[in-house]
Amino acid sequence: MKRYAKLYWLYAKNHFKVMMEYRMDFLIGVLSVFGQQFAALFFLSIVFRHIESLNGWGFYEILFIYGIAFLGRAIHHIFFDNLWTIGWQYIRTGNLDRILMRPVNPLFQIIAERVQQDGFGQLLIGGSVLWLASNELGMVWSVMDLFVLFVMVLASGMIYIAVNLFFATFSFWMIDSLPVVFAVFSLSDFARYPMTIYSKVIMFVLTYIIPFGFTAFYPAMYFFEGRGFTLFALATPIVAALSLILAYRFWLFGLRAFASTGS
Amino acid sequence: MSQLAIEVKGLVKQYKIMERDAGLKGAIKALFTRKYRIKEAVKGIDLSIAPGERVGYIGFNGAGKSTTIKMLAGVLRPDAGSVHVYGIDPHEERIKNARQIGAVFGQRTQLFWDIPVRESFDLLCEIYEVPRDEFQETVAWFIERLQLESLLDVPVRQLSLGQKMRCELAAAFLHRPRVVYLDEPTIGLDIDIKETIRAFIREISDAWGTTVILTTHDMQDIEEVCDRVIVLDEGRIIYDDRIETLKQTFNNERTLEITLDEGSTFELPPAVTGRVMRLETEDETIQLAFNHHEISSGQLIREIVNCNQVKDLSVVVPKMEALIRNLYKSGVSA
Repeated sequence: MKRYAKLYWLYAKNHFKVMMEYRMDFLIGVLSVFGQQFAALFFLSIVFRHIESLNGWGFYEILFIYGIAFLGRAIHHIFFDNLWTIGWQYIRTGNLDRILMRPVNPLFQIIAERVQQDGFGQLLIGGSVLWLASNELGMVWSVMDLFVLFVMVLASGMIYIAVNLFFATFSFWMIDSLPVVFAVFSLSDFARYPMTIYSKVIMFVLTYIIPFGFTAFYPAMYFFEGRGFTLFALATPIVAALSLILAYRFWLFGLRAFASTGS
Repeated sequence: MSQLAIEVKGLVKQYKIMERDAGLKGAIKALFTRKYRIKEAVKGIDLSIAPGERVGYIGFNGAGKSTTIKMLAGVLRPDAGSVHVYGIDPHEERIKNARQIGAVFGQRTQLFWDIPVRESFDLLCEIYEVPRDEFQETVAWFIERLQLESLLDVPVRQLSLGQKMRCELAAAFLHRPRVVYLDEPTIGLDIDIKETIRAFIREISDAWGTTVILTTHDMQDIEEVCDRVIVLDEGRIIYDDRIETLKQTFNNERTLEITLDEGSTFELPPAVTGRVMRLETEDETIQLAFNHHEISSGQLIREIVNCNQVKDLSVVVPKMEALIRNLYKSGVSA
């Protein structure tokens, strides 16, 4: 564990050095993600200029849910972005062979080989939105609440990571599973709204099949009073851990298949 | 030392190849019904390689070379047979095996694309947990032998092919592996860089007793680096012996090239018939293949000159490349 932490730090240090060499790229990347998220928020605020509430949910409540989603996604985006590239950058090119010949966990190497600085934009906007929303909602934060928030954001990030890893693993059998990962990830946009506005089917899918519901809506419910879903909120870290274990198992299964076909 | 560096028994690897009919129709049909053809890439290989041996592993494209090496490295799982590298099963204990091997795979880089060579080495030092002082000693030695000094601060992506290959080689040996797999390490390089690389491999392997498996299409590599040759053809080993034995087997083979004065015709002296073979040639020259053991060059030349109007002649000793080609033709088995 200590060895892996040290290794990650070394990988990351090199990334930051490269990043500093291309300061312009860094800035443009952060700004573009910033713009993207800002557009989504702008759209939301326009909608709320015309309606009082969305199925009983106010603007700042939805903003709060957005904030948690952004922060969770930022963790995934900054540190685990290479999961997207497993198919075309590692399996198809034979780079995975090189990784498998080193005495370090192969998934760790893939993850460590990239830090996506653009995600810092998301982190910034997520933090600001959460702060703004909680102020407007008159929330009072105890140390315990802050700790829970931290755990929830981490769990949210873990679910994004698990879903990404699970569907990227299909690249062992397909030429490239990237389109599948894209399709699945477009579902995560639904999860940034209160789940009660959707039909039972969508709610079921986002809770039990692809648990994006636990990336924002359910964990946010821990902080809202009288809205229900407390059990779901408390289950968030468990769901995150289970998803991650399942995805990692599936990845190991894919690796074994790779060792027998080598394609 | 009794332990073998590499021990392979009855190694088999098959690939499933999907077959489909041509055209769009075939592609759509393949979505629903899949037909597979089994291709045996490696058909039962036995190998015993002693520590410190330098083995040239050669064969045509598709002969099964890289498949074997991938199994030796633990990347692929054998379908049958066993592999042991210093007693470790590379696939079952991949990470343990990874510590004792190094590799250069021609086209793919072991280094880190965006970061300078020096930082790449540092990272590898941590990955392989090389003690710091040992690492520094090794790097200093490699910098001198491979002339890396001026390359250390350059990002890998900016290196030329020759520069990159020198760094790759250093990276492969950095953690003092017991076995190194080199796949086409000299492909596309200038002759002087090839020389540097060959000398480096020899020197390091001598110093540390590193076992080297070298696949190449350049016979000069084999001749200068290896002490043993294994020839693979269609998934089977067709030749496995010391390089000197290979040379000796064909050592007495010679070719005499003769150019005659214009207008004269060639006559084979009766004294040599049955002991030489006339080869087909496209141009005017006459080529006679003979065995140095049965008839000496001197005797043959005397006989030829006696009854022909010879303008020019020369005796050719076959090169490694010709020896190997001979092997394929005659199918000599070890």
